[in-house]
Amino acid sequence: MTQPLHSRILTHAVLILVALACILPLLVSLKISLEPSPYAFQAPTWVWHEPSLDHYVEVIQRQDLMLPNWFFNSLFVSSAIVVFQLLVVSLAAYAFARLTFPGRNLLFLVLVFTMMVPAQVTMIPVYTTIRDFKLLDNYLGLILPALANVFGLFLIRQFFLGIPRDFEEAAMIDGAGRWRTWLVIMLPQVKAGLITLAILTFLGTWNDLFWPLIVMNKLEMRTLTVGLTVLNGSYGTERALVMAGAFFAIVPALILYGIFQKHIMQGNILAGLGGR
Amino acid sequence: MTRVQSWRNGRYIAGNYLFVLPFLAFFLVFTAIPIVQAVVMSLYNWAILAKTHPFVGLDNYVRLLDDQIWWQALRNTTWFAFLSAGAITIFSLFVSLQIRKPGRGRNVYRFLFYVPVVLSVAAMGIVVGWAFNTQFGLVNALLAPLGLQPINWLGEKELVIPTLALATLWWGFGGPMLIYLAGLQSIPRQVYEASEIDGAGRWQTTWRITLPLMRTSIFFVLVTQLIAHIQVFGQSYLITGGGPGRESYTSIYYLYQTAWRYYHMGYGSAIAVSLAVFILVVTLIQFWWNRRQAAVEY
Repeated sequence: MTQPLHSRILTHAVLILVALACILPLLVSLKISLEPSPYAFQAPTWVWHEPSLDHYVEVIQRQDLMLPNWFFNSLFVSSAIVVFQLLVVSLAAYAFARLTFPGRNLLFLVLVFTMMVPAQVTMIPVYTTIRDFKLLDNYLGLILPALANVFGLFLIRQFFLGIPRDFEEAAMIDGAGRWRTWLVIMLPQVKAGLITLAILTFLGTWNDLFWPLIVMNKLEMRTLTVGLTVLNGSYGTERALVMAGAFFAIVPALILYGIFQKHIMQGNILAGLGGR
Repeated sequence: MTRVQSWRNGRYIAGNYLFVLPFLAFFLVFTAIPIVQAVVMSLYNWAILAKTHPFVGLDNYVRLLDDQIWWQALRNTTWFAFLSAGAITIFSLFVSLQIRKPGRGRNVYRFLFYVPVVLSVAAMGIVVGWAFNTQFGLVNALLAPLGLQPINWLGEKELVIPTLALATLWWGFGGPMLIYLAGLQSIPRQVYEASEIDGAGRWQTTWRITLPLMRTSIFFVLVTQLIAHIQVFGQSYLITGGGPGRESYTSIYYLYQTAWRYYHMGYGSAIAVSLAVFILVVTLIQFWWNRRQAAVEY
C-alpha cells in the first residue's frame, strides 16, 4: 500500500516528535548534571552554561555517599547472578528438554503455576528466610533468591528442544556421557539463548529496586538503584549532583543496549512482559 | 538400544535428577515454599521481633476490610494501572502501525523508542520526576510558549496519578511496541493484497483487517500490562513519596511500609495475598470478557 506524500510527511513528523519526547528528558537531565548547580533551578534552555564534569567527580568523592561502592555492588551482584543463574538454569533446562525422570511433568506444571503468582507474594517469606540465614546486607541475600529463574528455564528449554536429536545420539555413540554431552555438544548450540538470558538477567538485576531496597540497608552495601533513591530523597537541593549520580546507572544500561540491541529486543518479545 | 536399557537403571535416573537438583533446591527455598508460607503467615500476628507469633485466623483479612489506607491504596493502584496499561496498549499499537514497514527509518525509530525501557525505575523517577517539576521542569517549559500557566503536575490531587501514568507510558511503551511489530510481521501479505484489490482504503484496512487480526496480541499486551502496573511501586516511592497526602500511595507501597517500616509481617502477608487474588480476579475478568467478545464477533 502506498501512502500519499502529505500523509507520509505527517507520519514522520509525529514519529520524530515521539522520538524527541523519548530522548529530550534524558538530554535535559544530562545538561543539568554538567552545569553549575544553580542552573538546575531555572527553566531549561538551549543555552549551555559552563559545562564541566565537576558534579560527577563530586558524587564519586563525597564521603556521605558511597557511589563507588554502590556501583561495584550493582556490577558484582548482576554479574554473579548472570553466571550462576545461567549454570543452574541451563542444567535444569537440558533435563526438562531431553532427560527423563519420574515426576518431570508434575514438576513442570508446578513451575508454570508459580509463574502466575506475583513476585510480591513471596517477598515477606523470602525476606524472613534470608534474615534467618543471616544474609541481610550480604551479597548472597541478593544472589541466591535470583538463581531459580523459571522464565529462564522455559526460554533455554525451548532452545534445547530446537536442536536435532542426531547431535546427542552421535555424541553418545562416541561414548560421551550426559554431562559431557550437555557441556560440549548442547551448550554451544544454545549460545543465542544463553546470551539473551544473560543480558535480560543482567539488566533486570542492574535495574531492580524493590528487593535490594529491602535486603541492603548499610550505606556501603546498597546497590546503585537503592543509592539513587537515597540521593534523590535526601539531596533534592543538589539537583545536579542527583542527576550526575543517575547517569552512573543510566550509561552502563545504554551501553549494553547499544551493543546487545538485537538480543534485548528479542528477549523482550520472548518474555512478553515488556521487561516489567 | 543401550539408552533405553539404561533409562530403567536407577543410577542413571538418579544422575538425571542431578541436572535439576540445583534449580529445584533454589526454586523450593525461594519460590515454592514461600508461596505457601505467605498464606500461612497471613493467618498469624507476626511481628518480626516478637518471641511468639500467635495464630489469629482470618483476623488480618477482616482488619483489611476495614482499613481505609488499604482501600485508598487499592483505588489509586487500580486507577494508575488502568490508565498506564490502557495508554500503553493503545499508544504502542499506534506507533507500531506507523513503523511496521521494514527499513532504516523503522530501525532508527524503534531504537529511540526503546531507550526509556532500559532505564531503571530509579533513574526514570529522577529524570521524569524532574521533568514534571512545576517551576523548573521540561514539560511546563515546553507548554509555556503555548500560553499555559505552570501546572503542578505532581502536587494536585486529581493530576498526580495521571501524571505518573504518563511517565510510565514514556518509560514503558517500547516493550509492547516490539510485541506488536512481531505480530504485524506474521500477517500474510496476501491479506493486504486482497483488500487492496477489493478497493479498501488505508483507514478501512487498518480497522477491518489489521486490528481484528491483531486481536490476540492486543489482548495479550493489555493483560500483561495490567498485571505489571498493578504492581507499581518505584514511581510513587521515588517521584511523589505517595503524595500529595496519600493520593499516589499504592498497594505495594503499603505492603513495603507495613512489612519493612513497621515489621508487621503477618498483616503484610495478608496485603500481599489479597493483592495477588485481586490481580488474579482482574485477569480472569479480562479472559471472560475477551471470550465473550470473540463469541460475539465470530
